[in-house]
Amino acid sequence: MTEALRGRGLAVSGTLAAVLTTLAVIGVFLVAPEDADQGIIQKIFYFHVALASASLVGFLVACIAGLLYLRRREERWDELSATAVGISLLFSGLVVVTGSIWAKASWGTWWVWSDPRLVTYLIVVLLYAAYFVLRSSAEGERRRRHSAIFAVAAFASVPLSFWSVRVANSFVHPVVFTQRGANMPGSMLVWFVVSQAAMLAVFATLVQLQLVQSRAERALQRLKSLVEA
Amino acid sequence: MSLLWARQLRALVLKDLRLELRTRDTLAAMVLFSLLAMVLLQFAFGRVESDLTRFAGGLLWVVLALTAVLGVGRSYVAEREQGVLDGLLAAPVSRLVLIGAKALAIAGYLVAVEVVAVPLVGIFFVRGPFFSELGWIVLVCLLADVAIGLLGSLMAALALFGRARELLLPIIFLPSLVPVVIAASGATHAITGGPNDMAEYRGYCLFLGVYAVTFALVTFATYESVFDD
Repeated sequence: MTEALRGRGLAVSGTLAAVLTTLAVIGVFLVAPEDADQGIIQKIFYFHVALASASLVGFLVACIAGLLYLRRREERWDELSATAVGISLLFSGLVVVTGSIWAKASWGTWWVWSDPRLVTYLIVVLLYAAYFVLRSSAEGERRRRHSAIFAVAAFASVPLSFWSVRVANSFVHPVVFTQRGANMPGSMLVWFVVSQAAMLAVFATLVQLQLVQSRAERALQRLKSLVEA
Repeated sequence: MSLLWARQLRALVLKDLRLELRTRDTLAAMVLFSLLAMVLLQFAFGRVESDLTRFAGGLLWVVLALTAVLGVGRSYVAEREQGVLDGLLAAPVSRLVLIGAKALAIAGYLVAVEVVAVPLVGIFFVRGPFFSELGWIVLVCLLADVAIGLLGSLMAALALFGRARELLLPIIFLPSLVPVVIAASGATHAITGGPNDMAEYRGYCLFLGVYAVTFALVTFATYESVFDD
């Protein structure tokens, strides 16, 4: 029953991800107006920012799942936490790459240390890459417990990194979302919201796919050991 | 009776400091290492820029952050050997007290290193008033030491039983330490003739305080799960 439900969840989010991503690509490149100042390169913004916020959601999921594992010691929370970190790390890597491309087009250089958000994301990538180094260095229950603690500690580091880098630097990063609302026309905002939803759906799909895979792997291991016995 | 935890904390911190004072293994190595790092930095940058006054704050905290890796890595050595940790865990002492004591011991090691390293940075790199402003630097050091101690005791406990823990510790410890280095060097720059002013000094000190409180909360949320049951 639960397997069937999981399968249905994956089918729903997979379909949603495919539809939304297609819609986002069409909308961003064919419908949304071109930025008067930056031109075609501004299109990367729709994916760069959407990936960044989706990865932050993922790290939050990993942190909450880590706390739930520490409270309940159920393996599924560890699995969810590790999977969320993995996919979010991939997204963060893409944030750094797309940010670097944008920097090249806007400022003529692949990397600017004075851009607080790009630098923060580099720190975040290093931080969460360490999660997997820690995870592979331990076994069994201790591996799950320590991974959960690290997921919590790392998530606490994210806003601190952001704040520290921001204090340290002048602002060169284009600030689109301010407290007074979005700093862009409605025709762009619509497609931003669509690509944000698309990235979240892609995230949810990848997480579920990974969970299904690791469950299948475990089942296979159990079968193997049964056959060997 | 209510102050039992304070007595336990004091006993545990004194145990670590007394052990260190008798053997002087870690401290001697940390002080020598900090001196070596300064020499390396001088040859890396001093050849290009003959007056490093503007960079002195940053140099100090790069040296101290790398030195902290050594101290944090050695901090649980006494516990790991000869089953001391098992004894401590079996004793009626809260694990929060155990980790807190280790944080204070690490901060103590750092203070001892700073007693040597801070004046040396002043002598080697700063041309201008330094020793008259020492009080401001001492405040930065104390705040940063508490922050590094809290982060370090948690990360060292996670790395304690991992494979290749000497490699693991810097990988999991340094990314979270980046904000501390940014803030502490930013604050020190305001004193040693770097680019910052006293308003920024206050901002960075506040940041170090917030960082320490955040990691105290992380430790509080996870301390029960750090050590094996």
